[in-house]
This record gives sequence, structure tokens and C-alpha cells, in this order.
Amino acid sequence: MIPAEFGATPWGRAWVRTVASTASAGPNALLPKARSLARNHAVTVTADGGHLEADVVVSGVGNHVRIELPPWPAETQAEAKRLIAKAMADNSGLAPGDLPDTLDADFRHHGISVGIGLDDLVSECNCRSRRRPCVHVLATIYTLSQLVDERPELAIDLRMSPTELAPPPDPNWVPLTDVDPATFYGG
Amino acid sequence: MTELPGTLQATFVPAEDAIAWWGVEQLTETVREHGLPEGRPGVCRLALPEAGRMTAASVPVLLAELDAALPALRALDPRATVGESVRVWRDAAELPEGDDEGYATLSTRMPAAAHAVLNSEGTAITAAPALLTQFRQAMTTRAALHRTAIQAELRPYQVHGVAWLSARPGLGHGGVLADEMGLGKTLQAICLLATRRSAEPHLVVCPTSLIGNWRRELARFSPATPTISYHGAGRQLPDAYQPGTVVITSYPVLRRDEPLMKTDWDVVVFDEAQQIKNPEALASRAASALSARSRIAMTGTPVENRLDELWSILNVTNPGLLGSRARFRQRFVAPIEQRRSATAAAALNAIVQPHLLRRTKAEVAAELPPKQYSTMVCTLTDEQARLYREAVDRAFSDGLGAGIERSGRVLALLTALKQICNHPAQFLRDGPAQPGRSGKFDRATEMLAEIVDENDRALVFTQYRAMGELLSGHLADSLGVGPIPFLHGGLSAAQRDRLVHAFQEDDDAPPVLLLSLRAAGFGLNLTRATHVMHYDRWWNPAVEEQATDRAHRLGQQRTLNVYTLVTGGTIEDHIAQMHDSKRGLAEIVSGDTEAALAKLSDDELHAVLDLDLGAFN
Repeated sequence: MIPAEFGATPWGRAWVRTVASTASAGPNALLPKARSLARNHAVTVTADGGHLEADVVVSGVGNHVRIELPPWPAETQAEAKRLIAKAMADNSGLAPGDLPDTLDADFRHHGISVGIGLDDLVSECNCRSRRRPCVHVLATIYTLSQLVDERPELAIDLRMSPTELAPPPDPNWVPLTDVDPATFYGG
Repeated sequence: MTELPGTLQATFVPAEDAIAWWGVEQLTETVREHGLPEGRPGVCRLALPEAGRMTAASVPVLLAELDAALPALRALDPRATVGESVRVWRDAAELPEGDDEGYATLSTRMPAAAHAVLNSEGTAITAAPALLTQFRQAMTTRAALHRTAIQAELRPYQVHGVAWLSARPGLGHGGVLADEMGLGKTLQAICLLATRRSAEPHLVVCPTSLIGNWRRELARFSPATPTISYHGAGRQLPDAYQPGTVVITSYPVLRRDEPLMKTDWDVVVFDEAQQIKNPEALASRAASALSARSRIAMTGTPVENRLDELWSILNVTNPGLLGSRARFRQRFVAPIEQRRSATAAAALNAIVQPHLLRRTKAEVAAELPPKQYSTMVCTLTDEQARLYREAVDRAFSDGLGAGIERSGRVLALLTALKQICNHPAQFLRDGPAQPGRSGKFDRATEMLAEIVDENDRALVFTQYRAMGELLSGHLADSLGVGPIPFLHGGLSAAQRDRLVHAFQEDDDAPPVLLLSLRAAGFGLNLTRATHVMHYDRWWNPAVEEQATDRAHRLGQQRTLNVYTLVTGGTIEDHIAQMHDSKRGLAEIVSGDTEAALAKLSDDELHAVLDLDLGAFN
């Protein structure tokens, strides 16, 4: 079976639901366009303490998107950590960056949502369109869903301390940016 | 131009299995001045500070192998004016093997210059503790290789490969050795097995056509290693094993064999691991079900680009590393293949990279000779063995006669035996040639598929027009690169020129060219080939060398690999061994082999022709 392009895992699907809910009252013509932007690498996403930023380039014009990403309250974080630890212990053989899908059900059971519903979503975009959320915000969320599909842990990380989209660094390697040129040859 | 610090620096470079000296303009003089070994010149990718920030640079270095570098470092004058990086490596050289604490302390005071080895992307350097771990593994491996008396001079990248392989069992998992064909994967695996004299036996699983080759290579490189061939109907595993015993079996046996499943293995090596690229296949399931401390897969095809195969092979060697197959498709295959996701590709690379070692000929070119010869010993099929015995028995019971008649009959018999070794279809004239009937034919097909996969080009020489045509027909089907041309004496000069020109100049031309040894001896320039295969033997080294040189020219950048296919236990094998050892009847070794054979008595001739599977199986 070929995996879905957006929301191949329950973790990415949580974010696809957010976008899809814009079509609950009738078809949303922006969705195919937003998917096409995400598909064609038009969106560059970065995360920064409590919000997502994205540049969405359409026909050579850049649009700047900002989406609020409030961390879970402390008690939800504690509950989530407990559920994660239990699920990870029950599921060996997971690849790095993955989460067991059973955890998604555990979260729902405890009323924890990894995505953010459309009603609670605070976003802004510097485009002139009057439709909100605009196609750029939708494309950003589609892209986020793909990043989450690639690394389910990201879905949790975003709600714990949303500062990095990349996986944690490999302890066997030191990024050049972390090497101090002044002490390179010794102190 | 990179700024050099002006004092001598030292960095351990695992891939070169050497300490790299660098950092000063007059490198050779400086190294000599301090009484350090010069080693070989090279260029390393290192991180360097430049105008206040770190950059990736190609730095001229001298690479001194550990055996020479470590004693010299220990003897270094403490007052010498050298960089701090040299001093920490001197300290490392003095630490006793098991001093974990000493190494941990040392890692905290290593300046970055001492571990400035860049990753392939040039974005990060190896962390000090990780590099020290590799350093210790390299030292342990060298000591083990010295102890084991391996009958081969390993190249530095091969020592690194053995060190890498040897680290796998201790890490609690396996790995994939994916060096390009011709870099000596088998030798590296043999070193791994020979240096682990464990109570549990090792297992090598390979295609049937390679069983003889494994046995031969083990006997050649590590004669002290006890080996057992486990295939055929009468196969049997012993009740007890000598330490470090290697059992060699085939994928068809592995598929359904209970004793293999019931044995606790130390290291299991899967050669030609394309055989387990399909996770549903019986062989793959059996490979996963074996009980082993560590599973090593060997393949020359670039599996990292074929995600489904990569999953299947790593699912055997490193279960769980990539998660379930469905999840792997969701997270990696679909993103990478459908939308060329750079994040997914980078994440997959980060997961796989520690478990897959692949070097290309281009990367290690400086360590390779211009021409590299290997003999591939192939296994006879049952059909070949039967035909071979019948032909020999018939010839001797009919009688070979004397004089000119004898020459003719001996020649006819030799031709028949060589045809049987090539493929029963050549002998019986019942082509097209199918796989499964000739070990040599199957092995050649596998090797050529690998070469084509690498986007390399190969010349295949045969002395028989019929065999060339059988190969051409089969390879056109199995390689999937269009019709495979055959250059032989029946073609006009213009037709031959067109084939040569297409092979040399045309990017769309088939990457394999079959040639009749007779037609291709002179004048042809086929230097685009990086592999030459002699499918059958002319038994005249000068003629074969002349053919080989169609593809070789002085100053050629890439190593030319020359493979000679020999069917184990047959006349091909006997005469190849006489040639190699320069022993046996003088005329067989140096002159006209076929004429010399005709002069032998019946008994002598029978000894040379007789099928000798005992020495082989």
C-alpha cells in the first residue's frame, strides 16, 4: 500500500485534520493549492520557542507565515511523558525518531491532542488575501504534517519545547558551528 | 589558501588507518626532524579555523600507519616544539589497552585539531570520545591480525574495514559491508572470522556458485581456520566444533535447513546479500531466524539508493533499526521517492550511516595498484559434474591412440571439458543458456550485474564464438541494458570499429562488450572498461595479458580489475594452479599447454583431467 502523501502516520494526520476541518462546511478550494505548494517544496519551516515561522514562495513572491504553537501545560506534559515512557517500553524495535501508533490512542483516551484545532489556531501571514487561514498558512501546516510523518517524535517535541525541527544531534559528531576556532589548536 | 598553524599537528584518520601529520609548510622535513615516520603523502578533509570561523578544507598530509606511528610518538622528545594535538596522540599511544578511565580523561583535553576528521557532508567533525573508540578498535584489530597470521598484506582501508566489522559484535548488532566490487570484501570478512576464535562456529552464506571460492580464499588467507562446507544432499554438521570454525553454506540450503537454525552462531556473513533483498523470500526469513551474535551482510551494489532492499538487508543485520516495513515506507520511502524530501533523506542517512560501510574505488584509488587480478573459483553444478565425468570416462575407455591421432583426440577432449565448464548448453548445443546449469555462468552474470549497477563498463573475453553468443543472449535478458554486443572474427572490420567506437564514446551503448579472444588481441582501444573478465582460459598468459591490455593504458586514473573465472576441481583449476605455482610439467607452465598435454601418458593425463571435487568441496 502506498502511504498517504500527507498524514501517512497518525502523528502527521493530527495536523492534516486541522487543515481538513476548514472544509467541514463545504469544499475549500484553497486546499489543493496548499497541498501543491507543500508538495513542490515552496515552504521552508523553522521553529522558534512557542511558534512556527515559514517562508512560502508562490510565483517568486515570498510570504511570511507565523503560527502560534503553545506548549502543553505542565500537567499535560507530565502526563504525556508518562504515557510515552510506557508506550516505548511496550514497543521495542522502533527506529530512532519514531513513536508507536498505540500511543496516539493513549493520548486521545487521556484527552491529549498533539495537533491544534482550527478554532484554537493563532496564525498570521503578511499576504493580502482576506481569506483566513490563507493558502500560505494551510501550506505550512501541510508541510509540518509531512515533517511529522518523517519523524513522529517531532509532534511531541513541538508541544514540549518547540525550538528545533531537526532531530537531536548525534553525540559522535560535533557540528562545525560548535567548534571554537580560538581553541582549535589547544588552549 | 588555507591558513596552517605553523606547528606540526596530528589527527587519527580511521578510514586511512593512520595518523595524519599536517600543519606546516615543510611537512616532510618537520616530520623527519622529530623522528616520526613519514608514511605516505595524501590529502585529508579536515576542519580548519579560517578568519575566525571553522571551514572544511582539503589538507595535504603525511599518513603514517599506526604500527610505525605509535612507537615513534612514544619516543618523541617531550621538549619538542609540536602542536598540542601531537602531544595528546602521544599520550593516547602510551595508554594501556583497557584503561577506559585514561581514555575518558584524555578525550576531555583533546584540542579539536586532534579529532578534526570531517563527516562526508563536511558539516561536523568526529567527537573526541568517538575517535578514541575507533583508535582503540584499530589497535585491537591490528594486534589480532598480527596474532592470527593472516596470509595477506592488507591495505589501510581494509584494516579499517576489519576494525569496523570487528566492532559490530561488541555493539550488539551487525552491519553491512558495501564496498564497491574489487576492493576485497571477502578478505576483510575472512579477517573478521579468523580473528574471532569463538567457541561458537561462524557461518558464511553465499550463492552456490561461490562456495568453492570462499573455501579457497579461507584456505589461502587463513590456513589455520577450520572450515566445513555444508551443502549437497549428504551434508552434515558436526556435533562439536573447533574454536573459530567457519561453516560455508548456500542460500538454497539456508532456506530450509533445520540444523542451521538449531545452531548458535557467533558471526554470520551473508555474501552477495542481494539474495536477501526481498523480505518475503524464504532466504530472508531464514536469515533473520538464525541465532547469531552478529550478522554481517556483504554487497557490492549501492543498496543505500534502493530503499526497499536497504530495509530488507538491515532488517536481517540490524533488526528494528529502521522500524517496521510499513512505517519505513511512511517515514522514508514515500517522502524520499515521491517528493525528494531532503529532511527524510538526511534523517535516513543519519540512522543508516553508522551501520553501513561503503568505500568506492575512486575514494581509495591512492591505495590501489593500476591492475588488480583476482581468480574467481566457481562451483560445478551436478549436471556439469556428470557430463565432465562421462566425457573423461568415455575418452579413456575409447582410447586416445598415439601420435597425431592422439593430439587430435586430446584436443577434442580438452575442448569438450572446457565447454562443459563454460555451460552445458555450449557442449550439448541445446541453448539458449539458462541460469542454474553452470556455476561459472551464474557467477559471471552476478558479477556483471553488479558492475552494470555501478555504472561501470566491462569487457568479457571468451575463446569460443558459441559461448559468446550464449552469453550475449542471456545477458541481454538478465542485465536489462539492451542487447549485449559480441565482437568476433565473423564481423567485418567496419562492424568491429562501430562496436569499439560505441563502447568508447557512446554513453547509451551497452556497458558490457563480449569479445572473442582471437579477434580482439590487437589494436583495439577499449580503455573505458574498468573491469575485464576472462570467461574461459587460453592457457597462454601472454595472449590473455594482451587482451587485458585492451582496457589498460599507462596513467589510467582508475584501477583495472581483471577477473579470471575458473571452475573448481576441473582441468581449468588444475592448470591454473600449475601456472600460479610455476610447478608441474615445464611445457604446461610455460609453453603450449594443449600440445604438452597430448604428450602425457594416459595415467598422467588422467591425473590432470580427473574431476577432483575432494580437494574442493
